[in-house]
Amino acid sequence: MLGTVVKQGATPEEYLALYSENTYKIITLFGLDDAYHAPWFIALIALFALSLVLCSLRRLTLFARETKVVMLPGEDKLLKMDLHSYVPEKDFDEVLGLLTRRYGLAVRDEQGVVLEKGRLSRYGVFIIHASIIIILAGSFIGLLFGYKGFVTLKIGETKDRLVLRGKDPAEMPLGFAVMCKDFKVSFYPTGEPKDFVSTVEIVENGKIVAGKEIRVNEPLSYKGIRFYQSHYGSTPVFFFNVGGERVVLAEREAFRKNSLLLMVARYERKVHDFGPGVLVAYLDGNEPKATWFLKNVDRLREQNLQGIKVNLNDIQERPYTGLEVSRDPGVFVVWTGFVFILFGLYVNFFVRHRRIYLLKTAGGPLVAGTALKNKGNFDKEFKKLLEEIHVHTP
Amino acid sequence: MNVLIFYSALFCYLLSSLAYLVYLVYNKKTVEKAGHYALLAAFFIHLASVVFRYFQAGHTPITNMFESLSFFAFCIAGFFLFLKRTYAISSIGCIVLPAVSLLLIWALTYPTDVKPLPPILKSYWLPIHTTFSFLGNAIFFISFLVSIIYIIAEREIKRKKSFLFSARFPSLETLDLINYRCMSYGFPFLTVGIITGSIWAGFAWGSYWSWDPKETWSLITWIVYAILIHNRLAIGWRGKKTAYLMIAGFISMLFTFLGVNFLLGGLHSYM
Repeated sequence: MLGTVVKQGATPEEYLALYSENTYKIITLFGLDDAYHAPWFIALIALFALSLVLCSLRRLTLFARETKVVMLPGEDKLLKMDLHSYVPEKDFDEVLGLLTRRYGLAVRDEQGVVLEKGRLSRYGVFIIHASIIIILAGSFIGLLFGYKGFVTLKIGETKDRLVLRGKDPAEMPLGFAVMCKDFKVSFYPTGEPKDFVSTVEIVENGKIVAGKEIRVNEPLSYKGIRFYQSHYGSTPVFFFNVGGERVVLAEREAFRKNSLLLMVARYERKVHDFGPGVLVAYLDGNEPKATWFLKNVDRLREQNLQGIKVNLNDIQERPYTGLEVSRDPGVFVVWTGFVFILFGLYVNFFVRHRRIYLLKTAGGPLVAGTALKNKGNFDKEFKKLLEEIHVHTP
Repeated sequence: MNVLIFYSALFCYLLSSLAYLVYLVYNKKTVEKAGHYALLAAFFIHLASVVFRYFQAGHTPITNMFESLSFFAFCIAGFFLFLKRTYAISSIGCIVLPAVSLLLIWALTYPTDVKPLPPILKSYWLPIHTTFSFLGNAIFFISFLVSIIYIIAEREIKRKKSFLFSARFPSLETLDLINYRCMSYGFPFLTVGIITGSIWAGFAWGSYWSWDPKETWSLITWIVYAILIHNRLAIGWRGKKTAYLMIAGFISMLFTFLGVNFLLGGLHSYM
């Protein structure tokens, strides 16, 4: 009784609760973005999962009870079924032999047999519900033990940490290093990107242990951590000559020569009308100062800082590749759930449970049949079976 | 060339629509036959157009609005033909085929030229995911139309009136049975569509589920249809109530397909 209440009352209710919350989420998606990981949302999903578990357990107890009930009904009961017919001219065993070609034996006793087909379909709903629980469990594992982040790599660069996604980006060690050997973008004649490929190697304990050309749709997987091609871009690098020494600096990178400590503070692609320029910060004693170097203005390309001649030789754009990094130990659980739910749907909608009874009576063998779903189809099949029995000669 | 085939398919669909409308008014068996053959011709010409475009583009032609609407219409016509084999539902053709024709005309308002494929769509999952999704959509589109007819027919029967040409439409039981059949095909297709999309996302975006608007709305649609199935199979709802839920489910699905593309954007909006 309690189980009935849980199933019919709570499940649609849970669905509806989930539905309205989701709609609400869509509306707030413009402002609130991490609501799908909010505790109340997870609590709702957990409640939904709990009701599914209860519902499935109830179904299981029903199955357990049901298997004992299967037995051969009497002649009067069989005659009440829509589909029944006497085959007086035939031998009981002959009819049975014909029926077992397509139907499996369920019960056999002195008086007759019960045959059936598609018994699995009774478990369809159970399989579907169980697989939803599996999928939810898998996603929960991912939520607990997985993470998502990214790394950006310039050609030739090696990194052993990733930046986690979230409100406050944090760095996390990968446990090994990734090196970008090469990165290429190709374009269609229309100017839209056609393909982007990062040639990447995994270095662990100083040895190259894996390598792959990562493309969109073709991630690299190593030790449960997957690398996906997600975006690309370019960062500028600056070629300086500091007191006769050639120095290559990226943005926010510092360099010390004797008493001079300088850093590339800011890069502008266009400083007024003078073209690209960099703001270089340096220390004058303890006082921080800054000055602009402009690539296209001779007077500002070469400057004297703290008595050392600093020359901006060139600015180049260096491409980098953006790799999405994720670890999700629950993903195989989820995929198992997917396989089962597809199987369950097939069983539930396309396998039909049908029973045929064969009884020894005074008027000869009596055949009767029942089907729960798609009765019209079974009607045809039953008539065909009877016809086959009538024409069959032993 | 490809657009020429497309136009001839549209022409046959329009012929078929006309034939079914004439059949509805005059109840002539020969006209119904003509409509059926026009539909068959339209379907196969449309198939040819899809196949031709596949070879012309070098990828599955379901990547923008023109191709999607065309493929959606193609699935509707196909499923209607499939249903016609079992049920006497020719009279519904006077609604389904004008709808198919309108979809194709709508498709023509979008650029019909073949666009280069963005890297994200270069995957074996593209044909699998889109075919299952659009088949599910098409099946539920037909059940949506059937549900509307059901609601109108039932109301008129209750008022003991007969609506225009009511005698030509299938009985309420047949309509309800078709709704059930649509549910039992549409729901598995929708599920496969979502699952294949999810697996694809697992290869392309780094996560099998990222609560992108399209994913979320497809889940909402799935839940609406799941409620419908529960109400029908567990509680035993029939007829009008299921018809209303079918309409609700379709509106949600329409939003998944169009609303997300036009209004919300996200990872999934391909125009």
